[in-house]
Amino acid sequence: MRLIARFAQENENNFEIIDVFDIEIKKTKIDKNNPVTSTLTNKYPAAIWMERKIRDEFGINFEGCVDTRPLVKHERFPKNIYPMRKNFQKIDIEFGEFEPYEYEEVKGEGVFYVPVGPIHAGIIEPGHFQFSQAGEDMLHLEVRHFYKYRSIEKMCENKKPLEIKKIIERISGNESIAYQIAFFNILAKSAGIELNESFKNKSAILLEMERIIHHLTDLGFIPNDAGFAPALAFMSRLSEDARRTLAKVTGHRFGFGAINEEMKYDFSEIFKFINYLEEKINFFENWIIDIPSLWDRFDTTGGLSHEKAQRYGVVGVAARSSGVAIDTRNNQWYKNRGFEIQVRQKGEVSDRFLLRIAEIKNSIQIIRNCKTDSNEKIEFKEFNDGEFHSFVESSIGELFMYIKLKDGVIDRFYVRDPSHINWQAFHTAIYKDIIADFPLINKSFDLSYAGNDL
Amino acid sequence: MLRFWKERFKTGIVTENPEIDKELEEIKKNLKDKVKKLFAGSLAIRMVDSGSCNACEAECNALSNPYYDLERLGIHFVASPRHADILLVSGVMTANMYHHVWDAYNQVPSPKWVITLGDCAKDLGVFEKTYAIKGVDLPVDYHIPGCPPTPKDIMQGLIEFLKKIEINKEK
Ligand code: SF4
Repeated sequence: MRLIARFAQENENNFEIIDVFDIEIKKTKIDKNNPVTSTLTNKYPAAIWMERKIRDEFGINFEGCVDTRPLVKHERFPKNIYPMRKNFQKIDIEFGEFEPYEYEEVKGEGVFYVPVGPIHAGIIEPGHFQFSQAGEDMLHLEVRHFYKYRSIEKMCENKKPLEIKKIIERISGNESIAYQIAFFNILAKSAGIELNESFKNKSAILLEMERIIHHLTDLGFIPNDAGFAPALAFMSRLSEDARRTLAKVTGHRFGFGAINEEMKYDFSEIFKFINYLEEKINFFENWIIDIPSLWDRFDTTGGLSHEKAQRYGVVGVAARSSGVAIDTRNNQWYKNRGFEIQVRQKGEVSDRFLLRIAEIKNSIQIIRNCKTDSNEKIEFKEFNDGEFHSFVESSIGELFMYIKLKDGVIDRFYVRDPSHINWQAFHTAIYKDIIADFPLINKSFDLSYAGNDL
Repeated sequence: MLRFWKERFKTGIVTENPEIDKELEEIKKNLKDKVKKLFAGSLAIRMVDSGSCNACEAECNALSNPYYDLERLGIHFVASPRHADILLVSGVMTANMYHHVWDAYNQVPSPKWVITLGDCAKDLGVFEKTYAIKGVDLPVDYHIPGCPPTPKDIMQGLIEFLKKIEINKEK
């Protein structure tokens, strides 16, 4: 069984823990006066952040969980508040005393620490990496996040479903279209309607465009971090072309607001673009394969073993590069449009790099096979109360979204970005490498901070 | 490698492609002149994300792609606030980033300027205040609107900002 998400919600008379597995969803009711339950972390290491987040936000404790440090409440965050509880409605908090965070560290003679972030050297999202080093060798890495914790979950509460659309679009810029599709799936379930083929085809095209742009960007940055700048020049130009194409079709370079009840777009620019892209990507592959100094850095670097990937329940590009064949597009609808799951085995930087090339090529095929000529409109009449969830394969991996509607408004909104799982397994991919390899490894995973921190 | 040189020859320099729009050419010329005049040809920007969705950063990264090639105009994104003239801030300023952003601000040597980038750095944009959000409260000199502002918008915004300090200087 693979753990997908563990999160809490507050009902009138109790708290509830919801565990989402690939084959079932389990619910556990918890007494509000004595909020304790048992941990899942012994079996599922990726439950650690999930439980720490629940503890911070709801004040629920997990018996047997070895890590009880705060997660989203940083050094100056007031410790005695449980902001996701219903009775917490303050929108201003006073900072508390500075309480240093206890990092995981490896002790020993000659071992030293390298803290990096939260503000990094480049133009990049904030997060913190704490390395335990012996010379150049990385002995351990603790990834610490949630600097971008905005509490989107609380922000969405008590709103009517469509009122949060603009927020959904902006949870993670790299995955905006994936988030929008997940949201529409939930809207449709709640309205009791089936999304029509026109919607499915068009949103699939836009989703593949988003994936293409994300992959192209990485295919430039990864070699760049190995000192090969021409690849960045080549790829950043292509991703700019792709963004401009997306803007020509949807009116927005990131596709914010692109997924709608009615999508009257002229997709011809996209079809033109993918022909051009196909030629370029083939050239790029042939060219890059010929540069031995690059493969010297890519091969045997940043290996995420198959076992670790499975143990942590890793998803998306990172999983598929380590021989774990999961992709939420792996269904008949997508297969009819030419989808073929891309898998590689060793989980090294080179695997994630080559997998992205293969996925771009497959995305091109999928786009070609999506029909865009009909213009059926979706009509949402009313949204019924209930609990709804949805899965979408974002450019990073499987995205899980959950919405509970009560009395016509959102009672609980929860998202598990693929990054939330993958970040936790990430540290296991560094042990054989030196710190100079870290940027390469990091870029090859290219996980979201905004989606993770929420 | 030979293949690459052939492709390169075929492509030419995209920034000098006559197809590229006139407007962008104009913006570039303007920007370069202003940077030359006001910052001796070298303007250093430190970008800090205080809680964005990352699209604003993606557009800043796009500024160095071959179409915009900002470095050629004398504008550099630098690794440390201590090397910067301008602190460019995106995002809603979360409680968890609050002190770190102020730290970065304090590290920028004077004279210094703060530019906010994107709607959510100004008034949270589509987001709403929660306990986890503080909102940007730095002394802001200029704001570049958009969600996200396109690379062209950012360049145009920088020109407007430079015009503003030019006027102040002449006063
Ligand atoms: S302004 Fe818009 S694009 Fe920029 S970070 Fe905020 S939400 Fe994202």
